Amino acid sequence: MQTIIHIKNLVKEFEVVKKQKGLAASFLSLFKREKIFVKAIKDISFDIKEGELVGFLGPNGAGKTTTLKILSGIVYPTSGEVTTLGYIPSERKEKFQKQFALVMGQKNQLPRAMPAMDGFLLIKAIYEIPDAEFNATLEELTELLDITSFLDIPVRKLSLGQRMKCELVAALLHGPKVLLLDEPTIGLDVTAQKNIREFIKKYNREKKTTIILTSHYMDDIKELCERVIIINHGEVVYDGKLALLMEKYAPHKTISITTSISLHIEKLKSYGELIQNEEFAAVFKVARADAKHLAARLIESDLGVEDILIHEASIDDVVRHIFSQKSEAKI
Amino acid sequence: MNKFLSIVSFAWQRALTFRFTIFMYRFGEIAESVVLCIMWIAIYAGSGDGVSLIKGFTVQEMVTYIFIGNILTAFTRSYSTATIARDIFDGTLSMSLVKPISYIRYVFYDRFGATLLVLLTAIVGQLIASVFFLDYIIFNPDLMYLLVIVAMLFLAYLTEFLLNTIIGTVAFWVDDVDGLFSMTDRVRRFFAGGYFPLSILPTGLAFVATLLPFAYTFYVPAQLYLQKISIKEGIIGLGIQIVWIALLYMLLKFIWNRGIRKYEGVGL
Repeated sequence: MQTIIHIKNLVKEFEVVKKQKGLAASFLSLFKREKIFVKAIKDISFDIKEGELVGFLGPNGAGKTTTLKILSGIVYPTSGEVTTLGYIPSERKEKFQKQFALVMGQKNQLPRAMPAMDGFLLIKAIYEIPDAEFNATLEELTELLDITSFLDIPVRKLSLGQRMKCELVAALLHGPKVLLLDEPTIGLDVTAQKNIREFIKKYNREKKTTIILTSHYMDDIKELCERVIIINHGEVVYDGKLALLMEKYAPHKTISITTSISLHIEKLKSYGELIQNEEFAAVFKVARADAKHLAARLIESDLGVEDILIHEASIDDVVRHIFSQKSEAKI
Repeated sequence: MNKFLSIVSFAWQRALTFRFTIFMYRFGEIAESVVLCIMWIAIYAGSGDGVSLIKGFTVQEMVTYIFIGNILTAFTRSYSTATIARDIFDGTLSMSLVKPISYIRYVFYDRFGATLLVLLTAIVGQLIASVFFLDYIIFNPDLMYLLVIVAMLFLAYLTEFLLNTIIGTVAFWVDDVDGLFSMTDRVRRFFAGGYFPLSILPTGLAFVATLLPFAYTFYVPAQLYLQKISIKEGIIGLGIQIVWIALLYMLLKFIWNRGIRKYEGVGL
């Protein structure tokens, strides 16, 4: 498969002006300003192949959005190699721009004062989409996302979920080969999130569009992405299958039991690391490999186990764990 | 051409959704014209029977100057500064940069569309206001003059657009360009002859004004309309405008290319 996105040793520095707190400092800053350089991206490299749907994760300020902006040619990289579809994004060639799309959950491309349909027509002109193609794509997308009923209402009057659906249509009208989705489900309710998620899944499967998705909702990632790239402090800390991530970073399982006789804490502790206990229930933390063995021991014990549940750490836990790592301590 | 027409039509549609704004702007312009005319008529009347000319302007010419000038200003204002500065400041520029059309070109089409609408409504507004001063208005049906005026206005639109865009682009380096715009706007209005005809100024200053591009947005075309200067002078003016356009275009390219490298696409 063809490599669609290529990033090697990417670095991006920003200049930031500092201001001390208070009014006096504000007056002082009229004449003197302290500038510092912040490295938003220290060293990022990855390749993405055609048709992949990659989850791009990281805590706030990790450099996700900056990376997406560099991939779309909005900001210039400080150094490093970046190509999208074989083009250098920051050259902003029209040929390149007609083949990719960027959707930001917190930034609209459709003008708010106008109905979405008018915005679509403007996009049609700017992207020079032929009539037949435009009509066919529009019909398909409006049906898939079920937005026909509010196409002629000014965008600002729409709900967040409706607006995001319109934004997705706007981004896909020209049939992009690469789609960068930055927090497309942010602020949406559970149902709307699910709708958007299902749409993305279907779209990726049918059109073979290469998609990078950032989201703070792990459900989005679990549902959609086979591969995840995790960045923190401007560096890649994990790049691989989501399933492998679990094995690597969730070395423990938990075993919960409920019993028919009351439990003594001292006795429980002899079985393993206890993380929670009540009169008729307890939870143990155990190494992944030992889970089966401990479960068997508990059932055979004289604790009177009535019910037992082996639980694996959720992706949320794993990701939270990775996010909380300091930049020095590489995983 | 399709892109151009679509963007212009979109600008019209959007502007028309803000009809209150349109009405209020025109109301302000009408009020200004009326006040200026009343003021000048009073000045002429107050200067006694002996004086019918002030710096070579009859009262009729002065009133016509105000009405024509206001229509001209409506056309040459391009309003691109605020658009560009805001887009840069809040990061909206990001969404435009990924589109297969140059941002400046897009803004040019969009603002040109908006200006055309303003021009049409301004003409209606000034016609309404001029009803009160019909006795004072001078008509000039000379085709040659009108042609030069139209050419001058188009070039004036370009210079104003370039200048406003350059000011807007300064937002790459500073957070807010309102102060800069307001400052240059006053200077421009003065040198355009927007407050009074430039012939009232000392000769030296008036000459400098004709070398600057601003006089061609108001004073010079209004003088042409009143046939107070010759076609030849008008054509020399067009030459001066073209030189300015070339200079400003190069400056804009230079500033834009430097600024865009600094752009951070904030707001996220």
